[in-house]
Amino acid sequence: MASSARRSGYETLPGAAGLRAWARRHAFSLLSSLGSLTRQPIASSMTVIVLAVALTLPTALHVTIDNVERIGQGWERLDTLSVFLEPEVEAVEAQRLASRLTSWPEIAAVDPISPDEGLHELSGQLNLGDLGDQITDNPLPWVLEITPETEVVVATLASRLEREAGIDLVIVDLQWLERLDAILAVIQQLVSLLAALFAVGVAFIIANTIRMDIQNRREEIEVMALVGATAAFIRRPFLYTGLWYGLLGGFLAWLLVRIGLVVLATPIARLSGSYHTHFQLYPPAPEITALLILGSGLFGILGSWLVVGQHLRRINP
Amino acid sequence: MISFEHVAKRYPGGIQALSDVNFALDRGELAFLTGHSGAGKSTLLRLIALLERPSRGQVLFEGRNVGKLARRHIPYLRRRIGVIFQDHRLLSDKRVFDNVALPLMIAGLSYGEIRRRVRAALDKVGLLDKEKMFPPMLSGGEQQRVGIARAIITKPPLILADEPTGNLDPDMSAELMRYFLQLNELGVTVLIASHDLDLIRQLGQRVLVLKGGEMVDDLPARQTLAGESHGK
Repeated sequence: MASSARRSGYETLPGAAGLRAWARRHAFSLLSSLGSLTRQPIASSMTVIVLAVALTLPTALHVTIDNVERIGQGWERLDTLSVFLEPEVEAVEAQRLASRLTSWPEIAAVDPISPDEGLHELSGQLNLGDLGDQITDNPLPWVLEITPETEVVVATLASRLEREAGIDLVIVDLQWLERLDAILAVIQQLVSLLAALFAVGVAFIIANTIRMDIQNRREEIEVMALVGATAAFIRRPFLYTGLWYGLLGGFLAWLLVRIGLVVLATPIARLSGSYHTHFQLYPPAPEITALLILGSGLFGILGSWLVVGQHLRRINP
Repeated sequence: MISFEHVAKRYPGGIQALSDVNFALDRGELAFLTGHSGAGKSTLLRLIALLERPSRGQVLFEGRNVGKLARRHIPYLRRRIGVIFQDHRLLSDKRVFDNVALPLMIAGLSYGEIRRRVRAALDKVGLLDKEKMFPPMLSGGEQQRVGIARAIITKPPLILADEPTGNLDPDMSAELMRYFLQLNELGVTVLIASHDLDLIRQLGQRVLVLKGGEMVDDLPARQTLAGESHGK
């Protein structure tokens, strides 16, 4: 018969309190969860593949956006500003302004174009032959072609130049770049929405898988409850299973994206070669990879928590 | 040890399993609970192990009102009660050893300790040579003994058995019942639900009779017959 000390309360376990018992119970749950994954390899791998495909979509989209943004940054640097001086500005004044602008820290180079050169260039572009011979009164002003330093915000520089005396007009073809940025921002927002949606999807896919797992192991759960397993003890292997599903799904999604990048590398190289540029694809950043895999694991735990809790309330009235 | 005071249990759907049950079982006692099927035997046992909560009245176990026990304390109550089922409730995909070890793994004992105690329990029910087998490979009587080994492994003060001899032939049943008597002699309180009236009569222990959800009879033990059955 039990000693009176043992009857002090239902909270005390027979001879197994403390950290080591806790560790043993965790080890049991961990092994048990791995066992349930390997016992049904086909069902488990199908779940992992479904998760991976679901997670690959937002991840791949994010990587695409990331890479397009990198190209965009490269293009922005190719831009020069065309500074049109006021018509009455003469050659000496124009040259002086040009040399003054060269001393600005934002500006890398200034290339003055005289009205004659401009007319020559224009007639060449428009295929009008030697226009300069027929036009005696050249309507073109002096133009300064300005190349900004790499890290300069072009729009700010443009508005500063416009305030300078003698400058009539600054033309920067930034509009298409701004549009590209706006489009990218929209898609980036879409990626965030998709990521949230797919995270919920992951939780429910895993919840559903765990639910089936619970159906298959209903007897085991009931027996464990009968012989005094706590809710936490019964829940734990399923939480581990959810975690494994999430981690594996996230990892496989990352792998799929990396494989996709390798497959795309050659055609991308050929394409950028035809533009005489060197462009390479960047893989997802480490923090994105971590977010993908750990986040997926976390939602796996969440998903299995939902279903196991629901089931436990039926066993323990 | 156990005390029922005006206990009623009504299942959802309006089935009245127990209507007004009163009885007490002292520490160290052994009693049979009998009655026709549907009389409420299983329900009564389920109320003690808190597999169900009573609709009315009080179920006391070791002085505590079991019906009011918080959900998180249920597992610790169940660790003090060994339950044996007619259908054994063994896990068929786990070996005999692991089945018996389950309550100890739940308690978080070390493997060495578990191994020692499982082998001792299996030895007690005469199944030490079957520890590596899976339950479906065993006979009904052997499976029932595995169930008993699992129930006694934590040395609980109370053993509940729900139709433990239900699927067994008379010889096997008698042997199993003798085993419960032995346990009882070691000081364990035992309550056995059974409708095997011939066998119960032979053993001469206290008999509680349920009929239509009420306790209609409480027959005390007949010492002489009990002594005789021990001698067999």
